[in-house]
Amino acid sequence: MNILNPDAQTVLVAGLRELAAANAAQVRDEIRAALPATAVRLDLDLSALTFLDSSGLGALVALHKTLRSRNGTVRLLRPAANVRQVLELTRLHRVFEIVNG
Amino acid sequence: MNTSAASAARREFRASLRLQAACEFSAVRAATLAVRDWLAEKGLPETDLGTWELALVEAANNAVKYADEKARQLPVTVEISCGECDVEARITDHTAGFNWPAEVDLPDTDSESGRGLFLIKSLTDKVDYLRGPGENVMVLRRARAAVANEILPDVGRLQNRLADAETALTDMTAELASSYESLVALFRYSSELGAHTDLKDFSHRLLKDLMQIAEADCAVLRLISPDGKKLETLLALPGGEKFPFPAVALAGASASVEIGAARSHEDIWFGSEEPLDKNDPLRAALPVGHGVCHAFFVANKLIGTATLGRLMADKPFTAAQVNLLHTFIDFLAIQIVNARLLDERALARVTRRELQIAADIQRSLLPAKIPACPPFELAAACQSAQQVGGDFFDIIPAGDGALLLVIADVMGKGVPAALFAAVLRTTIRSMPQLFDQPGELLATANRTLYPDLSRVDMFVTAKIAYLDPRREKIVTASAGHCPLLVWRPGAPEAVASGQSGFPLGIEPLTRYAQIEVPLPPGSLAMLYTDGLSEARNAAGEMLGEKRLLELLAQTAMQAGDAQGGKQFLLGRLADYSGQAPLADDQTLILIRHRP
Repeated sequence: MNILNPDAQTVLVAGLRELAAANAAQVRDEIRAALPATAVRLDLDLSALTFLDSSGLGALVALHKTLRSRNGTVRLLRPAANVRQVLELTRLHRVFEIVNG
Repeated sequence: MNTSAASAARREFRASLRLQAACEFSAVRAATLAVRDWLAEKGLPETDLGTWELALVEAANNAVKYADEKARQLPVTVEISCGECDVEARITDHTAGFNWPAEVDLPDTDSESGRGLFLIKSLTDKVDYLRGPGENVMVLRRARAAVANEILPDVGRLQNRLADAETALTDMTAELASSYESLVALFRYSSELGAHTDLKDFSHRLLKDLMQIAEADCAVLRLISPDGKKLETLLALPGGEKFPFPAVALAGASASVEIGAARSHEDIWFGSEEPLDKNDPLRAALPVGHGVCHAFFVANKLIGTATLGRLMADKPFTAAQVNLLHTFIDFLAIQIVNARLLDERALARVTRRELQIAADIQRSLLPAKIPACPPFELAAACQSAQQVGGDFFDIIPAGDGALLLVIADVMGKGVPAALFAAVLRTTIRSMPQLFDQPGELLATANRTLYPDLSRVDMFVTAKIAYLDPRREKIVTASAGHCPLLVWRPGAPEAVASGQSGFPLGIEPLTRYAQIEVPLPPGSLAMLYTDGLSEARNAAGEMLGEKRLLELLAQTAMQAGDAQGGKQFLLGRLADYSGQAPLADDQTLILIRHRP
């Protein structure tokens, strides 16, 4: 997992391969720790993500709440079909901005 | 050979795999990946692989997440079997387990947990969570996608369809999960229908099964009281004897939901929104939580009410569970009605049999043949008002050409009365030395019979007469019995004679006076029971002793012999009673001194 800081307001996370029970809490905490006070946009590049479970969804929701508290947003970039399906099945696609392509 | 070939062909081949993983997230994750690879080998399409992977991860994560320290030492077992049409997975955990909720809903979007069960349910066709001691098994089943013409369904459409079918699915899942258990239970009950099982025991088993299958924490079963005025508690589970469960009256204002259901013929639900009235007796069983009360009827007649309750307020009964309540209670209602019919029939059978025995005993007591006693001539009759009466008479040769006449009326009916008549007869017959002393005979018989008679609150009126042909007189003693009636030639009317002591069985030590009445030629005497003097006509008017004396005088003047006299007298009695049914036994002995 790579955490980048393209500008003062944005944090970009890429290279996440799994977001599941075994690592969800750790990923959440690492991303939170890496958020500068000025960051209002969290972009999660999910193109490498092959597996997302309900614990992973919990981590996404937690990050969403963190950003919302500072009037920011979480964007999910390029999720694979199976990841998108899990988001849609649990209706969280209405919560996150999903960027395809 | 044909048979085994056919069954082998029918038997579906299922490949299976069993894995054990340490109770930690990374280990169970690795196991699910191994299962995924194995399913891929079995030819499952990519979408199915993803679905199974996620469903298994969710199920296995639960097994890890809720494991306590002890459970964490035990492995999580994943078994999977793959057939031609479906795939089934079993995940065994060692957690405390949980009750699979009736409705699996998504949590609030802000919630960071609580989506696992929803995913499991959405991704599979059927979920069973079987709780056992020490371990629980989650069984997941899902049909294999048809290989040909597979079109990936549009997720939006799928979601809509899922949403549409959600309610139906929930009901069906619950119904399926319980249907096997229900069917087994119902078959077991149906084998008992018609058998004379103990109703309370049957109800207890049925209610316990129902509670288990419908996942209820308590149940109260009430039945209508025999007078139809109140609902009485048959059972309150668990531990019904601890709850004070007063019966509730059907009439008048009532706080009871059971009465409400009985009156409205509709199920009544209660819970946090519709709480039980503070005076509702059901509160003893269910102070918090919620439940449903069902009144049950047979042929539109109220039989009782059954109430199921759950202590957890947020878990209402599903439609399927209420259906179970209805089905089980229908069975119970049939059994209750059957049991009542059987009771009535058995009682009628016992009563008929008892009456038959009593009638046989009574008939056997009566003398088959009346001995001759010249110059006296005798005739006797004994007619019962019902199948069996308490009257009996006996005529015993008493030596020297004399006869002992016994007439008695046992207070009571049926076998006990008939048995006492038999005992009295034997007691008297066993004392031939006292035949010419009727007073002493009665006193002795009373002493003998008193303990038995008083124990069962019965008594006997009896009259004993020693008919002495040589002295042309009759010596009588009476234990509370009707007097001797005597008509003598030349007299305008008959007279009653004799005084009476206590009936037998009233006082242990009592004496009986003995009187001697001359019976000159041409006279007619009669011993009788009160069924004669108390015979009523159609207007309900009693014949009375005075009219009986007149009747005896008429009889004496009309008929020359005893037999003819008996016919005449009974004929006149029948005329008097008319259509009125015989209210009491009528027994008489006529003694004619032929002129």
